[in-house]
Amino acid sequence: MTTARRPRLNAVRVGPPGGDTVVLVHGIAMDNLTSYYFTVAAALAAAGHDVVMYDQRGHGRSERPATGYRLEDFTSDLAVLLDDAHTAGPVHLVGNSFGGTVALDYALRHPDRVASLLVVESEPPTAAWAAKMSALLADTAHRLRDERSLPWLEHTYGRHEARHARRARPLLRGTTIAADIAASRIPAEERWRDLDLPVLAVYGSTSDLADMAPWLESLLPNCRTHRVAGHGHSVLVGDPRTVGSLMLDWIGAGHRHQAKAVRV
Amino acid sequence: MTTTPAPDAVTPLPGADECAVLAELTEALHSVLPEIGLEDTAVTMDTRFVEDLDLESIDLITLTGELGRRYGDRVDFPAFFASLELAEIIELSVGQLVRYIAGRAG
Repeated sequence: MTTARRPRLNAVRVGPPGGDTVVLVHGIAMDNLTSYYFTVAAALAAAGHDVVMYDQRGHGRSERPATGYRLEDFTSDLAVLLDDAHTAGPVHLVGNSFGGTVALDYALRHPDRVASLLVVESEPPTAAWAAKMSALLADTAHRLRDERSLPWLEHTYGRHEARHARRARPLLRGTTIAADIAASRIPAEERWRDLDLPVLAVYGSTSDLADMAPWLESLLPNCRTHRVAGHGHSVLVGDPRTVGSLMLDWIGAGHRHQAKAVRV
Repeated sequence: MTTTPAPDAVTPLPGADECAVLAELTEALHSVLPEIGLEDTAVTMDTRFVEDLDLESIDLITLTGELGRRYGDRVDFPAFFASLELAEIIELSVGQLVRYIAGRAG
């Protein structure tokens, strides 16, 4: 069961108040708001945007409840965060990897509160996505079952990734996250065809996910995709200048979409 | 009267402003990150946050958030971090952060 009490979330806001609000949603397990703070946040703030970053439940310096990690738990955290942020109007949502899945799920449920979406290395929540993500989390948890796996991780992925893995161990080993993701509420596919919001989906050209670009463009009514050459799934931290430029151009394009007005 | 110079006349110690910032930074570390247990650890200009103090990178943001409250708009930590590569952030020393703050706050 999902715990009733909402975990306390760590959030950081930079940039001048009054600008377009950009909300940055990070990935799962070995990620937190630093992926944005250290890369694109300063450029977005310097361009005059009101930039909101937060650690999702179980990550970074946010609380880590033992249970409550279905997709809808993450999506409702974002809804509460935006309620508390007192933004002036619809916000630009940016999501990296799983953060993009959360952003898409939020947009489907609250289209009137979203101006645009930019997702990096993300896929919308489908049954196949939930099964794959759950298996990946369970497999990573298994690899981290004891401290002896850490030298292997360091050898295979380097010291920095090994450090991330060690930090992610309490989330992966000490919570129900893998099982919860598998039990997530998945929107019916037809609903995506009505999501009339501008979406830019960015992929690393060597990532396995890049192949889903044509399908995503056919699924969403107002979506285009962009591939960043020479990068894989970690394109945000691997090429922050290119991804940051894409974000600035996208958000600066002035999407002031009002879903309600369009649908009347 | 002795003519022996004071130690700080011959040793490249941090300047007065940098000393003050180092003290402030050390105090902020204890204040916002008490759980990392720095009581017995000497924090010097050469101390590295991640490698020596075992801070997580997210802790650096908590620390600079607190320093931002103390030093105000003159310091711009998102811009400071954006000027560094990820590998440089992992290697970041207390001295680098102190010198940045002292340079901006002076």
